[in-house]
Amino acid sequence: MSIRRYKSTELLQGTLDLLILKALVHGELHGLAVAHRVEQLTNGAFEVKPGSLFPALHSMEEAGWLASSWGESENRRKAKFYRLTKAGLRQLKTEANDWRKVSGAITAALRAT
Amino acid sequence: MSVLHRIIAFCRNLFQKSDVERELSEELAHAFDALIEKKVQEGMSAAEARRLAAIELGGVEQLKEKIREVRSGYYMESLLRDVRYAGRVLLKNPGFTVMAAATLALAIGANTAVFSAFNSLLLRPLPFPSANQLVRIYSTKNGAPIQGTGNPGGPSAMDVRDFSQRNHTFQKIIAYDTWRKNVSFGSAGGTPEQMRVGLVPGAYFEVLGLRPIIGRLFTEDENLFGRHYVAAIDVRIWRERYAGSNAVLGQKIFINDEPYTIVGVMPQAIPEWMEPGRPGPVEIWTPFASATAWSENSRGARGDAALGRLKPGTSVAQAQGDLSTIAAALAATHPIDQGIGVALTKLVDTRVGTLGPMLLLLAGAVSLILLIACLNLANLLLARNATRERELAMRAALGAARSCLVRQLLVEAALVSVVGALVGLALAQIVVSIFRGIYLNNLPQLVSIDLDWRVVVFSLALSLATTFFFGLFPALKAARQDPMDVLKKGGHGGSSTYSSQRLRDMLVVTEMAMALMLILVAGLFIQSVARLERQSLGIRQEHLIKAHFYMPPVRYPDSTAITHFCDEFARRIRALPGVTDATITTLYPPINGWSQMLGIPDHDPVTRIDDVPSAEFGVSDVHLLRTLGISLLRGRDFAESDTPNTQPVALINRAFSQKYFPNSDPMGQHIHIGPPSFLQIGAAAATADNADVTIVGVVADFRNRGLVLPPQPQIIGLYSQHPIVNFGFKDVVVRTALDARALSQEVADQLHALDPDIPLAEVQTFDEVIEHQIGDRRFTTVLLSAFAITGLVLALVGVYGVLSNVVSQRKQELAVRIALGATRVDAVGLVVKRAIVAAAIGMMLGVAAAWGAQRLIQGFLFQISAVDPITFCGASVLLLLVALLGSALPAMRATRIDPAQLLRQE
Repeated sequence: MSIRRYKSTELLQGTLDLLILKALVHGELHGLAVAHRVEQLTNGAFEVKPGSLFPALHSMEEAGWLASSWGESENRRKAKFYRLTKAGLRQLKTEANDWRKVSGAITAALRAT
Repeated sequence: MSVLHRIIAFCRNLFQKSDVERELSEELAHAFDALIEKKVQEGMSAAEARRLAAIELGGVEQLKEKIREVRSGYYMESLLRDVRYAGRVLLKNPGFTVMAAATLALAIGANTAVFSAFNSLLLRPLPFPSANQLVRIYSTKNGAPIQGTGNPGGPSAMDVRDFSQRNHTFQKIIAYDTWRKNVSFGSAGGTPEQMRVGLVPGAYFEVLGLRPIIGRLFTEDENLFGRHYVAAIDVRIWRERYAGSNAVLGQKIFINDEPYTIVGVMPQAIPEWMEPGRPGPVEIWTPFASATAWSENSRGARGDAALGRLKPGTSVAQAQGDLSTIAAALAATHPIDQGIGVALTKLVDTRVGTLGPMLLLLAGAVSLILLIACLNLANLLLARNATRERELAMRAALGAARSCLVRQLLVEAALVSVVGALVGLALAQIVVSIFRGIYLNNLPQLVSIDLDWRVVVFSLALSLATTFFFGLFPALKAARQDPMDVLKKGGHGGSSTYSSQRLRDMLVVTEMAMALMLILVAGLFIQSVARLERQSLGIRQEHLIKAHFYMPPVRYPDSTAITHFCDEFARRIRALPGVTDATITTLYPPINGWSQMLGIPDHDPVTRIDDVPSAEFGVSDVHLLRTLGISLLRGRDFAESDTPNTQPVALINRAFSQKYFPNSDPMGQHIHIGPPSFLQIGAAAATADNADVTIVGVVADFRNRGLVLPPQPQIIGLYSQHPIVNFGFKDVVVRTALDARALSQEVADQLHALDPDIPLAEVQTFDEVIEHQIGDRRFTTVLLSAFAITGLVLALVGVYGVLSNVVSQRKQELAVRIALGATRVDAVGLVVKRAIVAAAIGMMLGVAAAWGAQRLIQGFLFQISAVDPITFCGASVLLLLVALLGSALPAMRATRIDPAQLLRQE
């Protein structure tokens, strides 16, 4: 069964934030690595373009969910790494819960005959 | 937590912008490189990888802009950018900026100054709790207000007591008054001085809601004569004389040489305009008690002030109905109250006093200025947008959204208006401090005028509204244009169309018309005041000085004592070197202020109060005519041989003679000073003069009812021959050979030599007396003149702006004409003609408008018509001169056009 690939622009508002938070649970990543991780996590269903990725990262950093630091990437380049803060972790839990509720409700609605 | 993060981010974005930007650039640069590297690893050529990476990022700069948009403070930042840009644009165009800001500043300054007067006199709440419950109570006679120190006067103390006991609508009603008295502070030192003392019941302060700072109010008992020797002082006196010490309570002060015990210190809250019997603030109060006030005989003694505090939720109309019913009942019971009614006015509404019409006039004048300023701004913006069309079109063509352009133009307008408003506020502050500096005894309200937050809000709002209204229209017009059209036209920056030029000409014409109206009104006022100043008092008023003094009854109990003191005082003054003559008198021009009912032989017998003959009455010593310089027309002057033991004699003026002896000889006639017997009731009979005098001379008319009214019938007696009305209040008038003012100290010294406890007060030259009479008119005139000049300057700016724009836009045309043989005179003529036509049309419109408004203005004028032809001509010539002045510079520029150079530029 083939899955339709969603462009990030089509992502539901807020879903991108949720996916980015999730992508950073296991440790810090630099910008493009976050996009790559999201793609992996969603089995390639979501392709996050830099045009959406970077504004999202910056706004989440300003909100205090992410923190950043400069480090060296896998191929020895200088890169800005993002990591989850405590506030970010709380936000992830909240958003994940919300998402479960919404998706559960929608799934239930679709199952109904 | 999140909010804190946002604030930190906001500050960082705003104040560490370069760091934020550098990090962003680095981050994206590294991401870009990483993308390329990844693609190269996937097997692409370097060039191909670079191209695809760029596509994937969607352009580094665009991405940066997207990220900036999500940052906190983005809107703020873009606004700041607009402001910075607007600032640069305005600075690059200093001519426009200065003219626009100055135009606004002048208009805002004038409007703010007048609004601050409105605010202080009409809008600001009174300094008393629940002040809207406070009501003034006036007496009316046959429906017309009566005169009195309360101005207009209130009911008698007895009537007030009945109102107070029988009404259902008031919490309290009280009567009070003020008197000039000799005050000395006993142990607190200082020489005695004449002060205005408030005669008030303790309830006066309760009505106003004022509590003593220390001590207590007067008790009900202390309102009784004989128990009234207690006083309250104002906090200023407390601080200055008693160093704010609590020991002030129980100290004695001496009022008219009688000791009063200080029982309380009151806050300084009662403004001077509230005091009956101005001028001068009241800083000392004693109980409202007199030997006669609380007796049935005094029911007719009207004219004091009365004040009441309504019950909560009661309207003035309800209270009016309530008191009118009581007044009707009183009129039915007491003959003296027949025809007497009451009129209630909210205290706050009495504040503006006689200033009301003047304020409206000034408001009209500053509105004209504001309109002129608006037209100027519209003109300037239209002219500027015409030259900016290309810039705006270019920006629109390069992708600027229309809303961005409009926002940009509005930010520019707002910047100009804020600068204009701030400078205007500073101007207004200067004007208001001048207001406060001039103390006019007939306008004590001026002291209370100042700028508060309402005024600041008003001027900012006015300024913003003005610029937005006149900035938005040109901005929308500019933004609506098709950039292609504008750019295709190419050319020279200025491409305003015929219709917009026409519009701007019309704006200038309107400005001219309004400026003319301002000049006209100011001109009429200036001439009115000049005529009032030149108004002859009917005396020789140079080298003349007057002062007031009061002989307290404690030491001057009867007419003999008073006469003796006055005669001795005058004799000593006449002996001073440099003194030509001196007189002690109760009357001096231009106001006598003592209207007296008379009995005149051969006059039709009267039965109604309105038919009783009356005249201005005053008493003096025998030196009155000689000192004042009043000429004797017939008969003889008073003489030393007229003594208390001889037949009382009187002088009348020509007006008296013409009114009461039109066909007979007044000389030797007997006049009864006093009301006819049917009006002599109760206490009034005891204090009426009731002397029969013989007319011995007729004197020339002099002003006795102010400068505006013609001289009224006047009768003058000798105080020594009128013991019942020979009161302790007297004025001394001195004629000198030299500077009158220089003599005031010696006059005071002579008074103190006779009695060190009598202060010499209200020392004035007669020029100052006149100045006091017309101070309010002069004040209005100065303001109006300043406004007229402002209007003229603005109109000048308007003419200049339009014409210089015309010249710069028609440079090519003029150059061609000159090249083809037109002389430079023709070029000048073109410019000047335009100015003259605008001025001429404006003049006609202005004259027409002033003609229409003549009825509004006539009431303010004295001896000059509101459509005075000379003033109209003068104002028109002035306007024409201004138009020529405004066209001079542009005309000069037109002559300096060098056709060869200009046409080569093409």
